[in-house]
Amino acid sequence: MSKGALNKTRRALLLGNEAIAQAVVAAGCQVASAYPGTPSSEILPAIAACADRIGAPTVTEWGANEKVAFEMAFTATFTGARACAAMKQVGLNVAADPFMSGALFQLKGGMLLISADDPGPHSSQNEQDSRFFAMFAKAPCLDPSDALEAAAMVKDAYALSEKHGVIVMLRPTTRVAHCRQSIEVVESFEPGAPVKFERDPNRWTQLPALVRVAHPRHNARITAIREEFEADWSAYNYELPAKGKAKLGVIAGGVSFSMLCDLIKEWGREDIAILKIGTPYPLPNRLAEDFIARHEKVLVLEETYPVIEMQLTNRARVNGRWNDVVPSASELLPEVIEKIVLSQLGETPSKPDTSQLSAAVDELRLIPRKPQLCAGCPHRGSFFSIRKAIPSAINPSDIGCYTLGINQKGLDTSLCMGGAVTTSSGLYMAHKATGQERPIVATLGDSTFFHMGVPGLLSAVYNRHAFVLCVLDNSVTAMTGGQSHPGIGDKPRKNDRGVAMDIETTARGCGVTFVETVEPYDIDAGVNAVKRAWEYAKNNETPALVIYRHPCMLLRVPQESVPVTVEKGKCVGCRYCVDYFGCPGLSFDDGAKKTSIDARYCVSCGVCKDVCPHGAIVGRPAENQRVL
Amino acid sequence: MQYIIVGIGGQGILFTSRVLGRIAIDKGLSVVGSEVHGMAQRGGSVISHFKVGDYKGPLVTEGHADVVMAFDQNEGIRNLGFLREGGTFLVNAGDPRAFENERLAKYLIDRKIDACKFAGYDILNRHMDGNALFLNVLILGAASGMKIQGFEKDNVLAALKDLAPPKHLEANLKVFELGMKAVTR
Repeated sequence: MSKGALNKTRRALLLGNEAIAQAVVAAGCQVASAYPGTPSSEILPAIAACADRIGAPTVTEWGANEKVAFEMAFTATFTGARACAAMKQVGLNVAADPFMSGALFQLKGGMLLISADDPGPHSSQNEQDSRFFAMFAKAPCLDPSDALEAAAMVKDAYALSEKHGVIVMLRPTTRVAHCRQSIEVVESFEPGAPVKFERDPNRWTQLPALVRVAHPRHNARITAIREEFEADWSAYNYELPAKGKAKLGVIAGGVSFSMLCDLIKEWGREDIAILKIGTPYPLPNRLAEDFIARHEKVLVLEETYPVIEMQLTNRARVNGRWNDVVPSASELLPEVIEKIVLSQLGETPSKPDTSQLSAAVDELRLIPRKPQLCAGCPHRGSFFSIRKAIPSAINPSDIGCYTLGINQKGLDTSLCMGGAVTTSSGLYMAHKATGQERPIVATLGDSTFFHMGVPGLLSAVYNRHAFVLCVLDNSVTAMTGGQSHPGIGDKPRKNDRGVAMDIETTARGCGVTFVETVEPYDIDAGVNAVKRAWEYAKNNETPALVIYRHPCMLLRVPQESVPVTVEKGKCVGCRYCVDYFGCPGLSFDDGAKKTSIDARYCVSCGVCKDVCPHGAIVGRPAENQRVL
Repeated sequence: MQYIIVGIGGQGILFTSRVLGRIAIDKGLSVVGSEVHGMAQRGGSVISHFKVGDYKGPLVTEGHADVVMAFDQNEGIRNLGFLREGGTFLVNAGDPRAFENERLAKYLIDRKIDACKFAGYDILNRHMDGNALFLNVLILGAASGMKIQGFEKDNVLAALKDLAPPKHLEANLKVFELGMKAVTR
């Protein structure tokens, strides 16, 4: 692009993750990898889409899990290539091993780690703060306050990474990753670095003797980076002085900063000063402590852990999480920030009286709707047949859409990715220790099976653990929005084909000798398969596998339409269908004590016909087939 | 302008905020908003925040929304606290009895809320073979009919042509008109 050319830039309404992704491509990233997880999932597909659109050579691939994804990207930098790994915060736990050790390496190519946090949480099993993890690993961390800033930080992250040979973490939260903002569309990319691996075992290995050199060297790098953050990073670390005399100074990072700016404008106040911190680790201490010295009272707002706060050398005049001024859990929503800031000023928010509204909401019994499995979701049939086959079984489950099977009373436990397999082992071992026998039928998804189910399965075969493992194979990573995985074989970039791994073959390769595949819509087939599998597992002291295979509804694969209706005369109002099958397409009238079909949601999968113990749900002649 | 769009995951709320954003960008305005993805999207309560103008943060503070658009009546009523005094409440009303609740009626009057109810599913049953997937375009039509700032008819139609699959364009235009007619003052 020639300098001074009149290029009309195009702006689009981008998701925060898309803004980050196009910045990664623009920065000349050559290797990008990820495992999907909310709120990070859209980053990798958006990298592929941007690279396809502008012809960038970025190799873009899903890893089977976050450890794999991190290692693929990280080791690519040994050649001088620029790389990027993206994951959600709990995904970083899976990648913790290479991250912690890799942080000490003297890298050749730039390495950007994107770890997206989920304060709230909205779609996660905890609210851990990746900035804390960065501090733990001693990796510099950037904390964007909106999508625009996140995109700008990407380029600077690569420069910092390559200058010092360190991993740099970008930590967006849900409100950055999933914000929508008008952003300039990227049309060009920097050329990537030359790629050449030079043999240098002292550099690329981590023997203890080498770590004794690498660790102090790394500490010196962090000191140098802290100095740079103090002086040269004023684009991300800056003060917004109060227009009048400041009664309160607020040190704010991430989205809390953006919210606070809007609130101060809304209030029209001139007595609040802000120090915005975009580089929470290593903290530019002088900037912070100078700001503290100039203000009578100081408040720290950051999500979710007190990372900035804990690095302050003197908190005597600082309010935050250490003295419970700021809550230590949940999101810092604008209402929460409003209350904290005003109480620091000795005021209370002047809120309109909403007592009439609250009372009306109570009287009308309006409660938030829980997330649930989609109408026609194959998991619903799977859970129903699993429960029906062996009602006394313990049902460990895992992380994915099927965690929503809790509404079908289909699961007893859920811990982490792949945890269904090892929970089954743990429960089996506990019962074995006391000579008891209790059936165990676990569930996990296809992507989760490949992610972390396999090592647990190997262990269970090796140690002779008897349980049934049901793989709910809907041919997609569904909860996170439909990404590919090793069982599918599709890859993010156009014209890039992978190889689909077969679950059955993989399981047999792990030493599993009982594998059956069933259609989840067929309740009887499911019941029989689970019963057979448990008998086999028990008699042979080994895990037995049942694969429930049916595509996710969101894939919109055409399927047979089986329209149903409820014969009111036969419906006795027992609620069995809504309590144990619980489909959005089934609606129960509390007054009439009858179930009916809710045409707004019903997709005519017909599975509920086999659910009613009184035979009240029956087929009806097909009308015009609705296009899904 | 600050908008809150609420409903149930799967009703097409994200598409509506994309249309709103496209219109604002075409006018050269700044936009920032927040969406719901992942587990929370699966048939549960969903809320989108959307701010057009000189804002930094993606969330609307309670009591400051100019408009609450509700794809679902229960979700709409539950989130009315977001609406400022004199704001506009556009709701796909499923059960008009709820609005007979005295406290709710009083709240709407006290806060001078301009409430516009339309029976979206009835309209779709009558004219679109009950296809609930058209609800989002119906609401866009209703917002245009209500003359809500940011949903000017020509702009919405241009955004629809741009963002929706061409094969649905004809049906979308029909549904849009149905929405406009349902509320036009």
